[in-house]
Amino acid sequence: MSSDFVLTTCPFCGCGCNFYLVVVEGRVVDIAPCFTDRVSQGKLCVKGRRAHEFIHNEQRLTKPLIRKNGRLEEASWDEALDFVAEGLRKIKQADSADAIGVLSSAKCTNEENYLLMKFARTVLGTNNVDHCARLCHASTVAGLAAAFGSGAMTNSIPEVAQADCILVTGSNTVEQHPLIGTRVLEAKERGATLIVIDPRETPLSAQADIFLRQKPGTDVAWLNGFMNIIIQEGLADESFIAERTEGFDDLAKTVANYPPEKVEQITGINAEQLRQAAVAYARADSAMILYSMGITQHSTGTNNVKSVANLAMLTGNVGKANSGVNPLRGQNNVQGACDMGALPNVYSGYQKVTDSTTREKFEKAWGKALPTEVGLTVVEMMNAAETGQIKALYIMGENPMLSDPDINHVRRALEKLQLLVVQDIFLTETAEMADVVLPGACFAEKEGTFTNTDRTVLRVRKAIEPPGEAMPDWRVICNLAKCLDGDGLAYDSAESIMTEIARTTPSYGGICYERLDQGQTLAWPCPSKDSSGTKFLHEGTFARGRGRFHNVEYIPTAEETDEKFPLILTTGRTTFHYHTGTMTRKIALLNYEVPTGYMEINSEDAAQLSIDDGEKVQVNSRRGEIEIAARVTARVPKGTVFIPFHFVECAANVLTSPALDPDAKIPVLKVCAVNVSKKS
Amino acid sequence: MIASTKNKQGKVGAVLVIGGGIAGIQAALDLAESGQKVYLLENSPAIGGNMARLDKTFPTNDCSTCILSPKLVEAGRHLNIELITYADLENVRGGPGHFTVKIKKRPRHIDDEKCTGCGLCAKVDIPQAEELTEHDGELWVERITVDEVKCVQCGDCVRACVKENPEAPALSSIYKEQTYAEPIESGQITAATELRKLRQMSKEQRLDYWRQQMDKCMKCYGCRDVCPIFVDEECKLEEWATPGQLPPAPLYHIARTYHIAQRCTHCGFCEQTCPGNLPLRMLADLIRHEDSRELFTFVPDVSEEQKEKICAAFAGRKKKEDEL
Repeated sequence: MSSDFVLTTCPFCGCGCNFYLVVVEGRVVDIAPCFTDRVSQGKLCVKGRRAHEFIHNEQRLTKPLIRKNGRLEEASWDEALDFVAEGLRKIKQADSADAIGVLSSAKCTNEENYLLMKFARTVLGTNNVDHCARLCHASTVAGLAAAFGSGAMTNSIPEVAQADCILVTGSNTVEQHPLIGTRVLEAKERGATLIVIDPRETPLSAQADIFLRQKPGTDVAWLNGFMNIIIQEGLADESFIAERTEGFDDLAKTVANYPPEKVEQITGINAEQLRQAAVAYARADSAMILYSMGITQHSTGTNNVKSVANLAMLTGNVGKANSGVNPLRGQNNVQGACDMGALPNVYSGYQKVTDSTTREKFEKAWGKALPTEVGLTVVEMMNAAETGQIKALYIMGENPMLSDPDINHVRRALEKLQLLVVQDIFLTETAEMADVVLPGACFAEKEGTFTNTDRTVLRVRKAIEPPGEAMPDWRVICNLAKCLDGDGLAYDSAESIMTEIARTTPSYGGICYERLDQGQTLAWPCPSKDSSGTKFLHEGTFARGRGRFHNVEYIPTAEETDEKFPLILTTGRTTFHYHTGTMTRKIALLNYEVPTGYMEINSEDAAQLSIDDGEKVQVNSRRGEIEIAARVTARVPKGTVFIPFHFVECAANVLTSPALDPDAKIPVLKVCAVNVSKKS
Repeated sequence: MIASTKNKQGKVGAVLVIGGGIAGIQAALDLAESGQKVYLLENSPAIGGNMARLDKTFPTNDCSTCILSPKLVEAGRHLNIELITYADLENVRGGPGHFTVKIKKRPRHIDDEKCTGCGLCAKVDIPQAEELTEHDGELWVERITVDEVKCVQCGDCVRACVKENPEAPALSSIYKEQTYAEPIESGQITAATELRKLRQMSKEQRLDYWRQQMDKCMKCYGCRDVCPIFVDEECKLEEWATPGQLPPAPLYHIARTYHIAQRCTHCGFCEQTCPGNLPLRMLADLIRHEDSRELFTFVPDVSEEQKEKICAAFAGRKKKEDEL
């Protein structure tokens, strides 16, 4: 009998916990916690402890599928790849390369994202490459890049436990980033002040010293109110502002218009409590901000993020240990997918495609002429597909049929495509609509790296062989490139791709498998082999030179309630499922805990509509309607309902609005006007 | 003291003596006197072995401690003898003149660097474990050691240590060290002082304390999954909590802890793997001390008929919480 323990990285959230896969006779039978791991310390969440259960699920894709006579039928790899290559070539000739869109995946490894990005840009010749970061932290990347020069978590995960004051807003940390939640609880135990500002009660808000509930979509108002109080009380860090930042005078003028009393009117947060929170934040020696989707998924997402950055700079809480601005990235490798340039406007390492010297550098490195125009983003691609501007989509490991806003619109868009190729491990809702489905390998079946939310590059190690004829995604892309006569995409291992990444990406310059396998903790920027990575960013000087204060005014959200749609819907996740449920809904315990979707509604609203706990109700928005069981609770405030978006049978995204933030093109998933009624 | 232990042929002039009884001590002294560097390895916390337990010795009828004591003191103070107590021999490699041995030191739960040997911790009156630091034949102890078997984690010894030596208390990480094979960096609060605090609380305060702790539960089921003795076939731990509810009701934790009550090995894995940092070991400790036989006339895993009683008692959850 053969058995083995393989140290690898968790495929769920962005914490990046390492654990051991217990392999017996070529099957992963269990997960063993790794007590020496930096992030997890042997602790794991409910999903992580069962991450092995979907690996051997019988619904895994084992053979390529091609649509014949309206049905998906099994085919050989040669047949499937030729079909795809032929289809893409035809569209490229008949239209242009820009009629093809590519969606990369935050669930795949850095190597695969780099490769797909390179494939889109060299073999297909388009910058239309994006991934689901657009739906979560696009506004962070845009907002923090404008303020600091780098759009990532400034500090590392272990530092959270050492902070003196932690301000958590728009993040259900304990449920969605459990191992960061652990650090927050540790800090609290140590005596740190915990401030939670969230419309919804979360497990963390029960532990908070100060818990404030704002009206959804009014974040800029309370952030400006915070800064108003800090300046009034004389708690601003003047030497930091003078030495390290620019644009403070304008900001001071703007926030002067947000006295706490006015903020109370807009946000519903009590002025006195707001003052207490602001003073606690400003007085702390090292104050840290943790935020997530509640800040970013708004039509004013980029403004929200800039406002958060303003607050941190105002109090001098950037560029030192145990403080900073920390966006918690949602997926295991969403940070890595962004770093690898699976975005329409940048190459790997956030090097702009519009910059001609950068482009020349990549043209030289890859030996191909590269497209010059910035490509389309996820939601723009869907819009373009509906108008016929995009004719083919290549989707790797994503499920827009459940994750994108306004699913009915996504369905119409995908139906119009001439060619839809989906590469995935399961037959997802999107794959069911595809012309060709290519079976990929899951995290336990391939080599590679993930980059977690605190910028640390982590190894993913192969424990078993992929099922049937499925193969690692990077190999699929290499083979497809061969069919399209793309030279320069022949790699024999994931490691050789990483070598190329290190060569072309300055911030990954010193990262290689050898160092990672020695157990080194490498967080980018890590420019050379001598560098031991960067624990926290912006020490001494900001990445862009001086930190920039942005003038941000409160703008009401794009989606307003009215008589017909009186309630605000906010979407999110539960701790028991992961995103579109492709993996977690195949795990028995998680299905036992939360078998299907539900809508949280405040007891006052429920009484008014005479809805009982557990009753099926109908939810309508301007875009669609779903049926869902109501859960009457005090977790959501009056006037707000909450629906997790994991479940296809009652998909919250049927209702949500595809309205976009003008800078970051992130959809407004957190605010949507709905009407709830008893089932007719 | 010997400066260098290697000679020209590369042979090592040091000797490892295994066992710190009278034979080992005599061998170590002879070798040390002849100029060898000696490592004296002993698996109990103190050298001395069994001789001190004897009265008279054959054939001279001498008093045994009269023979042993001077040798003990000599071995303890000899510059060429290095005592390695409370340690085990892991493996031996190499050959004569060139052995490399690996020795695993067991945790003493005391920072040797900081301990001044004042002995105040040992003088604390601990009714539950009077013999906390007394060892048979304890005639030359390198430093104080906490006996894991007897320690009830009341924290009194820690307080004594902090009082005597507030700058650098040596006895500050009992709890954390206990669960790791090797000491790790940790200046954390010990579970011991936590227990002490809890015992001083009123009933209502204790209920609040446990409510607050149990609210941190993330329902990962790790405490069950890593437990070496938990058998879930009949118990179905999930069913003690409402599906999908986070955090679960306190009943969940109480049910789990009672399930393992008397069998708990106190390995501490449940607490180590808990992402909410719940004091699960302390909970197990408490439940063990509150004898379930007195409360429910029930001994876990003994009688089918009695199981119904405890299940009925669980239904009245309030009682359980009060009791804690």
